[in-house]
Amino acid sequence: MTNKYYEFFCPVKVIAGKAALEHIPYELTGMAAKRPMIVTDKGVRAAGLLEPVIAACEESGLEITSIYDDVPPDSSTTVVRDIAGIYRQEKCDSIIAVGGGSAIDTGKAVNILVSEGGDDIAKYSGAGVLKHPLKPFFVVPTTAGTGSEVTSVAVITDEAKGVKLPFTSPFLLPNAAIIDPRMTLTLPPHITAATAMDAMTHATEAFTCMAKNPLSDAYATSAIKKISHSLLHVMDNPKDSDGRLDLAQASTMAGIAFSNSMVGLVHALGHATGAICHLPHGLCMSLYLPYVLEYNLETIRDPLGELLLYLEGPEVFAATPAGRRAEASISAIRKLRDALYKRCQLPRTLKETGKVTEDQLDHIAEMALDDGSIMFNPKEVTLEDARAVLRRAWA
Amino acid sequence: MLAKRIQPMVFQARRLYVELMFQVMGRALQAVSEVDEKVQNEARALPDGFLFEMMVMPNGSKLIVEHTGQGRFRYHDDQAPRPVDLSIQFKHIAHAFLVLSFQEKTSVAFANDRMLVDGDISYAVRMTRVLNRLESFILPKLIAERAVKEYPADLHLPEKLISAARIYLKVATNFVETVRA
Ligand SMILES: [Fe+2]
Repeated sequence: MTNKYYEFFCPVKVIAGKAALEHIPYELTGMAAKRPMIVTDKGVRAAGLLEPVIAACEESGLEITSIYDDVPPDSSTTVVRDIAGIYRQEKCDSIIAVGGGSAIDTGKAVNILVSEGGDDIAKYSGAGVLKHPLKPFFVVPTTAGTGSEVTSVAVITDEAKGVKLPFTSPFLLPNAAIIDPRMTLTLPPHITAATAMDAMTHATEAFTCMAKNPLSDAYATSAIKKISHSLLHVMDNPKDSDGRLDLAQASTMAGIAFSNSMVGLVHALGHATGAICHLPHGLCMSLYLPYVLEYNLETIRDPLGELLLYLEGPEVFAATPAGRRAEASISAIRKLRDALYKRCQLPRTLKETGKVTEDQLDHIAEMALDDGSIMFNPKEVTLEDARAVLRRAWA
Repeated sequence: MLAKRIQPMVFQARRLYVELMFQVMGRALQAVSEVDEKVQNEARALPDGFLFEMMVMPNGSKLIVEHTGQGRFRYHDDQAPRPVDLSIQFKHIAHAFLVLSFQEKTSVAFANDRMLVDGDISYAVRMTRVLNRLESFILPKLIAERAVKEYPADLHLPEKLISAARIYLKVATNFVETVRA
């Protein structure tokens, strides 16, 4: 008998497809919620993405009680406290987060405060602190990448102390994630590309890192198939709602995969690079993915080879000898990156970003070694290894 | 209680083994931190007075070490002088046994949801690397390859320390054989 053991958990109801937003009022009523608060950011509002959400609710006679649209890109404990204050003042009874990673994380954190009470969110930081279900919470993602709508994690910056507070609890998961293609139709090309590559990385790392399991594998491969199939098509036809829906669903599936089997070195390097050089997360993912796969190659040859089927389709898979499939998977990812570079200049090397200097590489390597994701990388990474990967990713 | 009546000896042996292994690891951590540069470099990033605990949930055996500065650890047995900074907790003694009898790698145990981390995750990452390094010292190459992700090519420890630790390992192996049956 092997020692293999795994856990898989995803209690989020997924409501996806055409006119998905119009299901929100029914879902709210089903949980006896009558006074929802929308948590979002200025960008979402300016892009006109709130209107369909509000209209969908009002048409069913459900008034949105309050809208907070000032979530910053890096949400803080002060913002969370302010929003919780408004929620209480307006006597709201549920939260709808509309946006990307930051708005969703903020929604999760606000839900802790308004459900558990108090003003000090730091008190609830850490793993497993929450012991009870929270208020009704819904998420409407407006990017297709982070997968935050199906993860039980939120990260909020404590500005006074200058630290990032992590929160993990299954109770942070929303009651439902609403995936409507209207929400991602207007995403600009470079964000479409970077966020899709974030999802691609979630799925690829989930499938090749230490905590992979049969259930997360199923989600990971489906996500990769959809992204490979639709990403370039959407880049060329941004208004294609079927393609947009494919990417949004892929992002959710990749989120389910990685939240159950974790990520690895690509994320460790990406988190460090984001913190030091202020580069967007998705961009870092796209940049490091092939270099890390090359570094891990001999440990992940079998699973990586399997991914060729989802990256390139059955013809290419069948035509490639089994012993060459892992390398062919890496080539497929490189080819995709080249195509994205051609369409929106998504950088493929650190040098191409124009925002990283060579003398920062050591700092990035050191910081990556302290990142939690590195624990699940299939190969044990030393400082020298991390430096070597960064040098390869340089130019 | 029913389970106790069925296999009392096995459970007793497993408990004793985990307890013994915690003691071995605690002492070995202190010893290794006195001679091995790699362990010292990893440990140096921890605050002085940092207390690390490994325990079996809910109130089982535990191992506590303190980082006393300059990358050195001091073994505290199972008594912490103050609240610990980082705790790695096995969900069940059976999971602790899998790891401490080198049937499951520490990193795999994390991946398999066998244990929880309470505290700063970056310190947990560091301590996992220290434990990997330690395991490769104590164990003969063959078993160590199973216990750690990769067997380091550059182990230079006084033979005396290694052989001392391996004596414990012998005891340990006997335990595994008894308990496994
Ligand atoms: Fe990511």
